[in-house]
Amino acid sequence: MSILYNTDETLRERVTEGLKDEFKHNAIRTAQEVFYTKRGELVKEMGIGWQQLRMHATEVRNHVTDNLDYYVKQFAENAEANGCIMHYAPTGDDALWEVLDIFEKHGASYAVKSKSMMTEEVGLNEVLEETGITIIETDCAENILQTAGSKPSHIVVPALHFDREAIMKIYKEKRGYDGSSVPEEITHFLRKILRKEFMDAEVGIRGCNFAVASTGSVTLVTNEGNGRMVDSFPKVQIVFVGIDRIVPDLESLDTMLALLPRSAVGAKMTAYFSLDSGPRGAGEVDGPEEVHIVLMDNGRHTLANSEFSDMLRCMRCGACLNICPVYRHITGHGYGSIYPGPMGIVLTAGLVGYDDIDSMAFACSLCGACTEHCPVSIPIHDLIRQHRINIVEQGKNHAIEVPIFKALALMWSNVDVYNYAMKMGTPVMKKLAHGEDALAKDSAWIPVVKGWTSTRDFDCLSETRFRTWFKEHKKQQGGGK
Amino acid sequence: MALGNKSLSDLLNPISKQLEHDVVAEHVDLPEWEFVPWRVTDGKSAAELVDMFASEAEKIRVQVKRCKRDELAACVASIVGEGVPETGEACTVVCASDERFATAGLYDALAAEEKVSDVTVWDEAKGQANVDAAYVATYGVTYASAGIAETGTVVQPTSPACGRAVSLLPLVHIAVVDAATIEPTMLTVMKAYADADGKLPSQICFISGPSATADIELVRVEGVHGPMYVRYVVVE
Ligand code: SF4
Repeated sequence: MSILYNTDETLRERVTEGLKDEFKHNAIRTAQEVFYTKRGELVKEMGIGWQQLRMHATEVRNHVTDNLDYYVKQFAENAEANGCIMHYAPTGDDALWEVLDIFEKHGASYAVKSKSMMTEEVGLNEVLEETGITIIETDCAENILQTAGSKPSHIVVPALHFDREAIMKIYKEKRGYDGSSVPEEITHFLRKILRKEFMDAEVGIRGCNFAVASTGSVTLVTNEGNGRMVDSFPKVQIVFVGIDRIVPDLESLDTMLALLPRSAVGAKMTAYFSLDSGPRGAGEVDGPEEVHIVLMDNGRHTLANSEFSDMLRCMRCGACLNICPVYRHITGHGYGSIYPGPMGIVLTAGLVGYDDIDSMAFACSLCGACTEHCPVSIPIHDLIRQHRINIVEQGKNHAIEVPIFKALALMWSNVDVYNYAMKMGTPVMKKLAHGEDALAKDSAWIPVVKGWTSTRDFDCLSETRFRTWFKEHKKQQGGGK
Repeated sequence: MALGNKSLSDLLNPISKQLEHDVVAEHVDLPEWEFVPWRVTDGKSAAELVDMFASEAEKIRVQVKRCKRDELAACVASIVGEGVPETGEACTVVCASDERFATAGLYDALAAEEKVSDVTVWDEAKGQANVDAAYVATYGVTYASAGIAETGTVVQPTSPACGRAVSLLPLVHIAVVDAATIEPTMLTVMKAYADADGKLPSQICFISGPSATADIELVRVEGVHGPMYVRYVVVE
């Protein structure tokens, strides 16, 4: 399980670190403002249609959640009928097993990948690299992070914490880049070096934004085109699909697509949206010959029919991050989870439980801005509050922190979130970070990172256990399926 | 429980249990939806939709040319005739195999352009050579199956006559769109696919402008892994 990373520092250390870093701060503020403003314009243009779309998306996603077993089954059967090879993964380790098995069967050792949170969730890269497989991240930001050995700080713009000079240096050192720090030049350098890698790779690994039950199709939303490269040229394709990605039919897919790019980046559409139904057809000369779908649960089913079932509607658009005043201050790395921000609090606690993340739910002012902006009307701040109640009831709370965030909540909930957070947020957070009497010294707040440039510590225990299991089971099976 | 090799029931059982379902339902009907969203295209005439398609495309930095059917070949040829964008050097073209292109005399018109050194018409019999041609081509020409007015999008299904590479690998993608196929939103395109018999194409790609990123300091850069320039030719 790799949802959490570097769990050995306190929130205070992390917040201190975050507040020190002016560049990262400004970058996040700019991103929030750019996305927020653009989104606002588009929402206005759609008039009443926007709220209707939100409500329709909500009823569609609720219907799927209520009948999740049926829709998972329908998707799986139809995808199989399209010629996809299905792999069922109740847990993340099952998913890793299946992927390693595919590589082993093909004797493959070279893969390209487009951004996928699900693969982050199971720590796929680390496990593949351990077994000697080269896996290349092809999303620009992910490639920067991979080359630098750093972690995402934003789910939509993951390399926000590096400036152009830093990125230039990374490629100079690691890839022999000899151009300037102009973003265009660096990006075109990436176009050049990655092109060959797309064509040579044996396996393409990708995620899926929505899976269509009635047609067994998977979809991918991208701007850079790396997703298309990954699903056009490697002969073998592996698609990670979460059981919470399913929509009933093509019509409801349109509803989701009308909401997703607008909410995520303030665009009507992304440059590419592809709907994939099985491997290349007869007479086609590109596209994968073999498509493997890894359909993964990894704890998601426990959210169904629970007080957190609303979270299963989440489309990972990041709108709640783009509006969140706390996210702006403690930054993506502040949450210590690959799922940061308001959605991250709810989802992380839902997937990994309270033992390791007990105080993360308190990194929120309960201002409700997230709820207001969520395209599928998830009552995010109510769910965060519910997590807090559960934490307190289960005796896992840190009593001192509760009143602090109650006070923050009061302040932030009654004013314009943006202006107020910008004026007041930093001093308040600084007090939080430094004021000795504000926080118990030893309060193990939330899992944290060691500064924002450090690499992730993969969960060694579970990784070792996993590799041993894999080897042993392979032995028992005589080396193959 | 052992790792890997799980069955569909292994995945489904915990879900059903959580939902308090004894068995997975044989069939579930979609409910009557309560909300039918209003869309900006509602009530627009066909001509207005074509205009909207063109103006939305221009907003996402696509250059749009509109022409009559008998001008199709000349219109596309005039674009590739400029050679490589910005430098004006000689270029190569990869083109979908399409009867409408052949009828319009497009292939000959392209080859006749002074700055065009080679034209490859997609041919499934040539296999990988098609992709190799697209890899180095400056222009890729496709016939979109539809356009979407709301977002200035073209719909590009994969087929033996037009691989994924044509709209992906060249520096410039030229999509020819029939004005008559311009739909208001993606919904009408999806409905048509839902109503059609048989399996969907292996890929249907919805393309809206050049490939782009803002990953470095949020500065927009065009031409990442897909085309740097996109041009639409709307045939009226
Ligand atoms: S919780 Fe809502 S706003 Fe946040 S990522 Fe999910 S869908 Fe988007």
